[in-house]
This record gives sequence, C-alpha cells and structure tokens, in this order.
Amino acid sequence: MKLVSRLVGYLRGDVEQADLTALQSAGGEVYSLVEGLPRGPARLAAWNAYVLQTYGDKLVAASRTSTYVRTDTAALAAESFRLACLWLGRANSLMADPGAAPSAAPAEPLPHWHTAIRCDEQLVGMRETLIALHAYVAYDLNSFAREPPRLHEALAEIEQQLDTVDILWIKHPPAEIRGGIGTALCRGLDDAYALGQALSVADE
Amino acid sequence: MGLFRPARTVTGPTGTWELYVSKTALPAWKEGQGQDLGGSLVAEGFAEGPAGVLIGAVLSLVGVLWTNILVPLGRFLIFLPISFARGKRSRAIRIEALNPFPRREVLLWTTTVEAKERVLDEIAEGLAQGKIVHPIGAVYSGREVE
Repeated sequence: MKLVSRLVGYLRGDVEQADLTALQSAGGEVYSLVEGLPRGPARLAAWNAYVLQTYGDKLVAASRTSTYVRTDTAALAAESFRLACLWLGRANSLMADPGAAPSAAPAEPLPHWHTAIRCDEQLVGMRETLIALHAYVAYDLNSFAREPPRLHEALAEIEQQLDTVDILWIKHPPAEIRGGIGTALCRGLDDAYALGQALSVADE
Repeated sequence: MGLFRPARTVTGPTGTWELYVSKTALPAWKEGQGQDLGGSLVAEGFAEGPAGVLIGAVLSLVGVLWTNILVPLGRFLIFLPISFARGKRSRAIRIEALNPFPRREVLLWTTTVEAKERVLDEIAEGLAQGKIVHPIGAVYSGREVE
C-alpha cells in the first residue's frame, strides 16, 4: 500500500519531503523556547514561531508516505516554516535586547489554503495542530490566578470548533462534510493562534 | 428515512417546509447539448417542400427528445446505482428542506448519522420560527430557488 502511495505521489508530481527538511529543521528549537519565556513581546514572537512550526510539522507528518508531500501541502508547510524562522529570529533578538520595539503580529493570522476542499491528510494535519494548540492554550489559561472572561470565551470558541470537527469526522466524507471540517479547523486554528498571542502578553 | 417521504413537515412564517432525510444524493438532471438538426437541414436547403419541412420537424422533435429527456435520463440511470452505493457506505446524511410555494425552494444541510435527530430537530425548530439555523455538527450548503 505504501508503494502505491509513493507511486501516486511520484506520478502526481508531489514534492519530496527531503526538499523541505532544511526549512523544517531551521525552526526546530522553538519547541523548547516558548514555555521558558516570561510574558511579553519575546514570548509573543516565540508563540507565533511555535504555532507556525507546529502547523508545518503536523502537515508534513500527516502525509501518507515519508517520501512525498502533496504540492499544496508542501507550499503551505514551507510558508509556515519560513514565517516560523522569521518569528524565531525576532524572539531571539528580543531576548538579547528586551528594549527593542516589539513588532506586530502578521496581518494574516496563519497561512491559508487557496482552495475550499481539503484532502484527508491535510485535514488530519490541521486537526492534530488544533488539538496541540488547544491543549497548550487551555493549560496556559489555567495558570492565571484571575481568569479573564474574554479569554475564556475565546477558548470556548475553539472548543466549539473542535466539537464540530469531532461530530463531522467520518470515513469517506462527502465534499460538503470535508468543506465543513476544513472551515471549522481554519477558524479554530486562527482563534487558537490569536488566543495564544493574547495570553503571551497578558498580565498574570 | 426516505427519499420520497418527508421526515417532518413544518409550517412557519416563510411557508410550509417538508424535511427530507436521505443518505443518497440523487444525480443531477443535466440536459445535453445538441443542435437542431431538422432546422439546420431546412435552413441550409437540404430538405425542401412540404415533405422536407415534415422531415425537418420530425428530426427537430427527435433532437429535442434526445437532448432534453433521453440523454439526461440515461445519465441519471447510470449514476443512480453509484449514488446509492456511495450513500450506503457513507455515514453522511443529507437533510433537504423543500418549500414548493410560491417558488420551489430547497435548503440543504449535511450531517452525520449520529447527529441526525438533533440536527433535524434544530432545523425544524428554526424553520418554524422563520430562521435558517446552522446547528453544530451540520454543514449548511445554501438555498436553491427555481
């Protein structure tokens, strides 16, 4: 079966995973960075890098073979890795010089797909990312002595999107369901990204 | 659950809605594309006189039947078993709300077998109040007016 998937990937003109390795590994240190930072601009930049690196990693990991990644998945993962490196560099410079002016979050919260319907492996990668981000922000929110209601509402929104995905997650979904899952995941990811940003600079 | 018998009938401010629940999306009725062969023969002078006009009219009638009925029917019958097979193996459920008057209007939601009853209740409740709802665990695809 793996051989067939590899053959399909080759014939479809998919991107070899090896082509993404250099970009993917450049931001690898972000996983150990974000939790150790105090709340402030450096942590905000590290959070942005963490989300983008996680998104790219999960999308690549969800591919059917370890050799090929679909072209549109590879393009989005590469863009995520590229932005993750930029934010990681920003976080490192803010750690070295805390007085440097913090930069704003990117205008578009996360790299977005250019088509409406996602394939199975893309949905798996997005869902894994959302589960990871939800776990992170839920744990982070619990560490606040006084829990801001606005942030709790944001967490509830993310959980609602996850619920929608769980209900719709069936075998052989038709295009309508696939579109619904993709939309809920995109919203959930954008919300989780924004909530993590708010938590990164919030007063405890 | 059936294709031809409504699961619920709801009356609200926007009219009476029949809610149909099915696992099968029937193939679309798509009319073929063909030229008017009879008309072309007459216009280009191949069929002259009363007999020629009659032949042209018959050919036109056959063309209309072929394009508008036989081709769509053939396509429908070919794809129908595929649609049933797809519906049988899927856990997706289609809920269609049909309001035939004053203009035929169809609303479509897609959900799963597990969420069917709850989603159906919420849709019926919404239509009774004149609202198109978006229940959790259902995808609203939009409205089709003919």
